Amino acid sequence: MKISSEWISVFLFALRVAVPLLFISTAWRCFSSMRLGKRREDPVIVLENTVTHKIIPVLYWENSLGRSWSCDIVLHDQTASRAHAVLMRRESGWLISDTNSKAGTFVNGRKVKDKTPVLPGDVISMGATSLRLKRTADVKGMKPSKPRWRHAAAPSRLLASATLLQALLCAQVCLAGSRPDPEPLIPFGLLLAMEWILYGYSIHLLGHVSFELETLAFLLTGVGVMLLCGTNRKAAYTQLAAVAAGIIVFRFLIWFMGDLDRVMRWRVAIGALAILLFAVNLAFAHTRNGSKNWIYVGPVSIQPSEFIKIAFVLVGASTLDRLQTYKNLTGFIAFSAVCMGALFLMKDFGTACIFFATFLIIAFMRSGSLRTILLACAVAVFGAFFILKFKPYVAERFTSWGHVWEHVNDSGGYQQVRVLSYAASGGLFGVGLGKGCLKKVFAATSDLVFGMLCEELGLLLAVAAVIVIAALALYARSLATRSRSTLYSISACAAGGLLLFQACLNIFGATDVLPMTGVTLPFISLGGSSMVSVWGMLAFIKASDERTYAARRHRK
Amino acid sequence: MKTTGFRSTILYVLGAGFLLGLGVFLYGFCTDGGKWALQPFNRHITGESLSSGEGRVLDRNGTVLAETKDGNRVYAGDAATRRAMLHTVGDTNGYISTGVQHIFRAELSGYNLVTGLTSPTGKANGSDIHLTLDSSLCKLARQQLGSRDGVAALYNYQTGELLCMVSTPDFDPQNPPKDLNTDKTGKYSGVYLNKVLSSTFTPGSVFKLVTSAAAIENIPNLDSRTWKCNGSVTINGNKITDVHSYGQLSFKKALAKSSNVAFSQIAVELGADKMQAEADRMGFNRSFSMDGIPSAKDHYSVKGAAPDGLGWSGVGQYTDLANPFHMLVLMGAIANGGTPVMPYFVQSVTTPAGITTKQGEAKTGPELVAPDTASRLTGYMRYNVTNGYGDGLFPGLAVCAKTGTGEVGHGQHPNCWMVGFSSRQQTPYAFVVLVENSSSGSVASAGHIASALMKAAAGGQ
Repeated sequence: MKISSEWISVFLFALRVAVPLLFISTAWRCFSSMRLGKRREDPVIVLENTVTHKIIPVLYWENSLGRSWSCDIVLHDQTASRAHAVLMRRESGWLISDTNSKAGTFVNGRKVKDKTPVLPGDVISMGATSLRLKRTADVKGMKPSKPRWRHAAAPSRLLASATLLQALLCAQVCLAGSRPDPEPLIPFGLLLAMEWILYGYSIHLLGHVSFELETLAFLLTGVGVMLLCGTNRKAAYTQLAAVAAGIIVFRFLIWFMGDLDRVMRWRVAIGALAILLFAVNLAFAHTRNGSKNWIYVGPVSIQPSEFIKIAFVLVGASTLDRLQTYKNLTGFIAFSAVCMGALFLMKDFGTACIFFATFLIIAFMRSGSLRTILLACAVAVFGAFFILKFKPYVAERFTSWGHVWEHVNDSGGYQQVRVLSYAASGGLFGVGLGKGCLKKVFAATSDLVFGMLCEELGLLLAVAAVIVIAALALYARSLATRSRSTLYSISACAAGGLLLFQACLNIFGATDVLPMTGVTLPFISLGGSSMVSVWGMLAFIKASDERTYAARRHRK
Repeated sequence: MKTTGFRSTILYVLGAGFLLGLGVFLYGFCTDGGKWALQPFNRHITGESLSSGEGRVLDRNGTVLAETKDGNRVYAGDAATRRAMLHTVGDTNGYISTGVQHIFRAELSGYNLVTGLTSPTGKANGSDIHLTLDSSLCKLARQQLGSRDGVAALYNYQTGELLCMVSTPDFDPQNPPKDLNTDKTGKYSGVYLNKVLSSTFTPGSVFKLVTSAAAIENIPNLDSRTWKCNGSVTINGNKITDVHSYGQLSFKKALAKSSNVAFSQIAVELGADKMQAEADRMGFNRSFSMDGIPSAKDHYSVKGAAPDGLGWSGVGQYTDLANPFHMLVLMGAIANGGTPVMPYFVQSVTTPAGITTKQGEAKTGPELVAPDTASRLTGYMRYNVTNGYGDGLFPGLAVCAKTGTGEVGHGQHPNCWMVGFSSRQQTPYAFVVLVENSSSGSVASAGHIASALMKAAAGGQ
């Protein structure tokens, strides 16, 4: 019997070494598959100057035309406006939209009022310049671009390795106690069902070609769920329910964003709804752990601010023709101010910081104005100064920052020193799922979950997991010029930035690199509303990938 | 869309911030990970959910002084041994910062960066630490000290092995008293200090060995000179007294009688520069170390001192302070002809796989006494025992020694010292004993403890 317990120990250690390696390899294959799957920036159509016969390639789905050097197609024409018009590709074909130019835009001599279709052979006139739309195939010396969807690995194989990873984690939980416990097989089975049903639905029913983002999300979600299995079984089921809700929101958002006109139509309504939700929150919410941000609907408690994150990104993003027509940010700044004001009233400063960072990303991507960013930061610093002056209890959080070892047994550093101590106890491979001690500390599965990751699964896996979140943000960035509209690029960058910033607040707050703010780690922390919102953010990144909507077209 | 693509680089700023923060965390993890993990509140070290087992601490005879059983740290079987070894082994909470359990906590816990505190096989992965100390000798010293505060240490000056190290007051680490940290009466004052290493005391007449060394080296006709001791001498208007009026004393007799009158005059005659130089050479104002634990610096400074101050300094009063560990090293130096073998107390650190990661060995320290001076001091110190303290204290051991009575004032009794060594090659032991606040004389207090220790050490061979 003694020999067998020793063998189990060695076996479990081997599992703990295998898990991070498998995690890293799966994540690596997902990202390289996504990188290879990106379209090369070849022009599909070109514009030919009717006078000089100069060929101008049209590279993007939305192209700005104008005199300004920053336009995608620069018109060397003094009579053209700086931002004259936008030429864009939609499901129906190519459209042109005049963006409040002085001289107006004409298609075959007819003045453009709204979005007007442009067919190959049509002539677009702006000021003194006339351009003819041509297919690449009709131009000598240019090869027609073929869409190439390449894969580094079959999507089913990637998901299979994510499943294998979850199986290894599940085995660890089952063998954690003194005798094998089969119960963790149930949450494992539920997770398995969810991911393969979503896979079948996306790939076979909808005909999607890519599943890497979902695989990455399941990779992280699986780690979180299994971590909960070893800590609090009941919470693991709650978390799984939240994942299911998150997947529904994910699919719904992708559908919703399939029609850009629909998104633009609903934007104001969504913004109004968000503010209404804040109002409801302020009126009915319960205070939990100092923040008044919980609403109880029957047995379920929800955090409205998490859902408002989705609305915030949707309201902030915009198509290029809109951006070029309505240049000012006033409406969005006002909306953001209301959101952040509400969060301050709720005393949820961590979420307020996340909204602010997201605001900066959106504001900069829309306006490109450093002045706006600096002004916003100045206002924020000023606001922070007043908060610290008039609400001294907020300042208390900062007093122990950087000195947590002097607050080992008081609230200033109690959680952080335990995170550090237990994280170091785990070494590179962790003490094993369910065998940690940090779980006994308050908020271990939410605010301190990074410490639990380090302790139970090891530094390698914990760092790999947060790097995946960072890589999601950078992936969103790499799609910025390839997506079907600036609405997708802006929302994807905002969502990626939001996830990364929230991850930073979580892990650096818990490890005393930054002051503790008490936010969740995307995909991994226990938190229903948070899980739903995180999958919502993933939908924005998914929508930014032009392949997401390509599949539907193929089916037609 | 080109501009949107360009503006998206704002995410790189965020990414850079992320990498910076991660770098800070990882740097801390790699450099301070051991410190982070080895906290008394860490339940992986001291808790039921133990995933690792801490290693054992054993004495030179294999007696287990501390080990982990069922998630609890347990100490030696009998309370007297536990108390005697407290300052060497350390307490569970790590308050005794010079204890083995604190200094070697990384080795004991088996902590390393790769597996943290875990053990791939599920077995204890902490290293065992074998000490050079003899717990029965420590227990004897502890019993001899009884309820008195003080220190006792003994080492083999040929091999460097420390055999005994005891400091009181102490407590039982297995059952710490409830009022240990709340007591206001001062009965536990210094309980977390290993006084052998970390404290300094007024040396009293023990310091006359330094004055003697300076006299040997600077007064050519020392052995033919005499000093008249009428019970007191007035220097610079300040009266320096002796217990008795000894009359005419040779140098040898003056040391054996420990005449303040003679030695204060010798110090004044030598002058501040020569006294300071001799004290510095013999290791005053310097920190020594044992297995990486630094000893407290002792103090001798007569720069700008008035003649009466210089006189008092020569008999170990004034602002003089001595550290017991340094005194032990000094005895080892004199016994070894001027250059000590430095004491060590960790014999080996051995991993569960049987790999010895640290091995204690004899290391020669700096020359503290000139060889000729050492040999003459040995002769004088032997005379102290045969004609002063009584050779019966150390039968057959040819012990050379010096006592001291450090006056501390504040209504306290003096600190009584005895330092010395056996000049027999078969029993190469040096010792230091100090009894604080002692109402009996040096020989009666410190001398008797030293006698018991030396006899036991020699008999245990």
